Amino acid sequence: MSRPLLVLFVVLLASLNGYAQGRGGGRGAAPPAARAAAPFDMTGYWVSVVTEDWRWRMFPNKGDYAGVPLNAEGRKVADAWDPAKDEAAGEPCKAYGAPGIMRIPGRFHITWQDDQTLKIETDAGKQTRVFHFGAAQAAGGDLQGVSKAEWEFTGPGLGFAIAGARGGGPQSGSLKVTTTNLRSGYMRRNGVPYSANAKLTEYYDVVKEANGVTYLVLTSTLEDPTYLTQQMITAAHFKKQADAAGWNPAPCAAR
Amino acid sequence: MRTITFGIAFFALFVSSAIFLGQAPAPSLGIGTPLGPMVNGTDFSGSWRWVNHQDAPLFTASGDIADWGGIPLNDAARVYALSWSASRQTVKQQQCMGYVPPYSWMAPGNYRIWEERDPITQRLVAIRFWGQIAQVDRTVYMDGRPHPPAYAPHTFSGFSTGKYEGNILTVSTTHIKRGWIRANGVPQSDAATVTEHYIRHGDATTILAVVNDPVYLSEPMSKTSLLFRQPADPDAWLYACDDSEQILGRKNDYVASHLFGQNPYVREYADKNKVPLLGAMGGAETMYPEFLTKVRDAAASETAAKAKMLPAGPAQASRAPDPTPNDGNIHVFHVAGSVYMLTGDGANIAVQVGPQGAFVVDTGAGKLSDKVVAEIGKLSSKPIQFIVNTSFHPEHTGGNAKLQAAGADPSLTGSFFSNQFADAGQGATIIGHQNVQTRMQELKPPAPAPPSDTYFEDRRRKYHNEEAVEMFPLPNAITDGDSVVHFRRSDVIVTGDVFTTTQYPFIDVKNGGSLQGEIRALNFILDRTVYQHDEDGGTLIIPGHGRVTNEWEVAEYRDMLVIIRDRVQAMIKSGATLDQIKSARLTADYDVRFGATTGMWTTDTFVEAVYTSLKNPPESASTK
Repeated sequence: MSRPLLVLFVVLLASLNGYAQGRGGGRGAAPPAARAAAPFDMTGYWVSVVTEDWRWRMFPNKGDYAGVPLNAEGRKVADAWDPAKDEAAGEPCKAYGAPGIMRIPGRFHITWQDDQTLKIETDAGKQTRVFHFGAAQAAGGDLQGVSKAEWEFTGPGLGFAIAGARGGGPQSGSLKVTTTNLRSGYMRRNGVPYSANAKLTEYYDVVKEANGVTYLVLTSTLEDPTYLTQQMITAAHFKKQADAAGWNPAPCAAR
Repeated sequence: MRTITFGIAFFALFVSSAIFLGQAPAPSLGIGTPLGPMVNGTDFSGSWRWVNHQDAPLFTASGDIADWGGIPLNDAARVYALSWSASRQTVKQQQCMGYVPPYSWMAPGNYRIWEERDPITQRLVAIRFWGQIAQVDRTVYMDGRPHPPAYAPHTFSGFSTGKYEGNILTVSTTHIKRGWIRANGVPQSDAATVTEHYIRHGDATTILAVVNDPVYLSEPMSKTSLLFRQPADPDAWLYACDDSEQILGRKNDYVASHLFGQNPYVREYADKNKVPLLGAMGGAETMYPEFLTKVRDAAASETAAKAKMLPAGPAQASRAPDPTPNDGNIHVFHVAGSVYMLTGDGANIAVQVGPQGAFVVDTGAGKLSDKVVAEIGKLSSKPIQFIVNTSFHPEHTGGNAKLQAAGADPSLTGSFFSNQFADAGQGATIIGHQNVQTRMQELKPPAPAPPSDTYFEDRRRKYHNEEAVEMFPLPNAITDGDSVVHFRRSDVIVTGDVFTTTQYPFIDVKNGGSLQGEIRALNFILDRTVYQHDEDGGTLIIPGHGRVTNEWEVAEYRDMLVIIRDRVQAMIKSGATLDQIKSARLTADYDVRFGATTGMWTTDTFVEAVYTSLKNPPESASTK
């Protein structure tokens, strides 16, 4: 191979490999703000489409924890659930923490609080979740815990490919949110518990239908060594609204 | 060597520039065969298993009766589901029913996903899905090919094409058989189309499926399912299902169902789970948060629920698109073996070709006969030799004269038998039940070119174009002269209007048709069909009108007629008049698929035919 061609080939490969490592800046450059780097826009009003776990999300009953990989201790706590005690203790919001709130039927208003912070407000229970890109901003210990966010772009994986790394292209990616430092609460509105040791990992993706409907798809993994025998994976989805129609803030309800 | 290194550099430049631009290269042409587009996206290959952390009790044939919260089923689907009896699963053709997407992702078995790549170019041709339960076998074409025409057969898996949208695989599926939204009676019609979005995060894949069903859903149903990747292949992939008689001695015209308003289990799920009955009845409103407010008034909610249990509102017409291409052209579809379907001129036309002359079943309405003859000429180098009429109705015989004139029956010319037929040597020989000839001659003016080679109650048979061809008279179904034709080697049955996919059977009571004969005729067809696997494939059916099917659709049609018969019969027994029966809308669950409110054959005229058949059964009790 002649030297000029070899140089051209190496330069092309290097540029290709560097690009496939994802957006967010090359070595030494300051990463763009999270808002600017977003592969999709998830701001606006979204409404729950309750087609998964309908019974447990709409009309949960005490002791009904079908599908939840609860251990014996978790079942014991769930079976002992007493919403009157929660109300008496001033704890009506225990089902509205991060591991439960996104599955409670309602509307969700998503905005950028600033360039590095995404905020989700809920009308059900009037909760606010804050997703911090970059370093964590709060100590946590409350129902919403501390949520660390990052755009997860489809990358080439480990190893070296001379060309054609698989991936979804420059506009492809998901929002990954990891929430820890939670206060214990309920993952369902019927007292199915999670502990303060729980870790919630969420992926948010946006899909658009040919008819113009846009869905936000949430895939959640809850790990809780205290009450679960294995990680629990669920999904939920939300339909994009044109405006705030139906937004109906209501306080937490323990029952 | 210099040429090769330059080629490598050029290739690298080409690939990298394409990726930098965020575009796949335009499809290029190989030698002889067009290549599909370059596709680039998430790899889903591997063994997967359904995650039951959500919707845990709803996998496979599960879900309590009347557990339909969160399903945007419409009124027709609701009364369908309320009428559905779990005992229907004992019907032979229901036992090995396949799974349709997206319900097929709710099975508790193993799944495998892999890629099919062109062995030469390594381009992605298709992504394959295999599901252990019911041996779901799906192919998602990634090479840009179009979907088949509307008159092509449906399967339980349907026909799927896919594309990557960012890191998401989006799959569009059409040509799906009637299946389940939920296997507790909520149907997904054969007019449904499905869009699925596959999103992978590590070992978890989330599938958001959106079902558009104009027949049984009031708005699209979106729902997620979850798969988790298995670290090792489970080596459990098969699902051997053969149907059998589960209730000995039961008649083949028995199909379990609940009469409207008489499902004894309608409250069971709601009461057990403390769910408002209105919620359990489903509907689009149950998918949204406002529903929680609506059911706060328990009494009003209960009243509203009860109002949903019987048909209400005005009569509905079919919402399923007509698969017939009424564009002034004749469309040809290869069905199987040596048999083709020609569609576009009234009733479907079947053509069998081979070393002898073409064997034609029905000749259409006669408006496009020249084009029909031209298309047959492309399929067969020999002229039309035989024509069979399955009925005397003009949509089946309108082209007799032109097709006969375009053909020739060399077996008669100079034959000992030529004296038996007035038209010997004058064209193709037209065969049919004697009553087809009689009815055509009785028309005023008489219809041209009626069958001259006729039969009565016996099976008529020929060995033609290297296969056995059988003609079976099935009297008192649509008329008193119906026949079906079975091409045995090709294994294709041409049913005439005994079976259609587009409307209720046109039971011509005045000309000898009856509901009882129609059900017998459908059972006769079902006694001759064999499916290949889980009610897919095997013996194929060319209906009088509509798309190519196999036995599944025939069985569904039979079941529908039996269920409607039982409803009408029950009202007749209770002393109801025809008007009262019509008002009760006993066909409400099927009108959205087969009904009509205008035209020659409306739902009302069909119900009248059913009523008349039951009040005055035909004398002929042929047991075919």
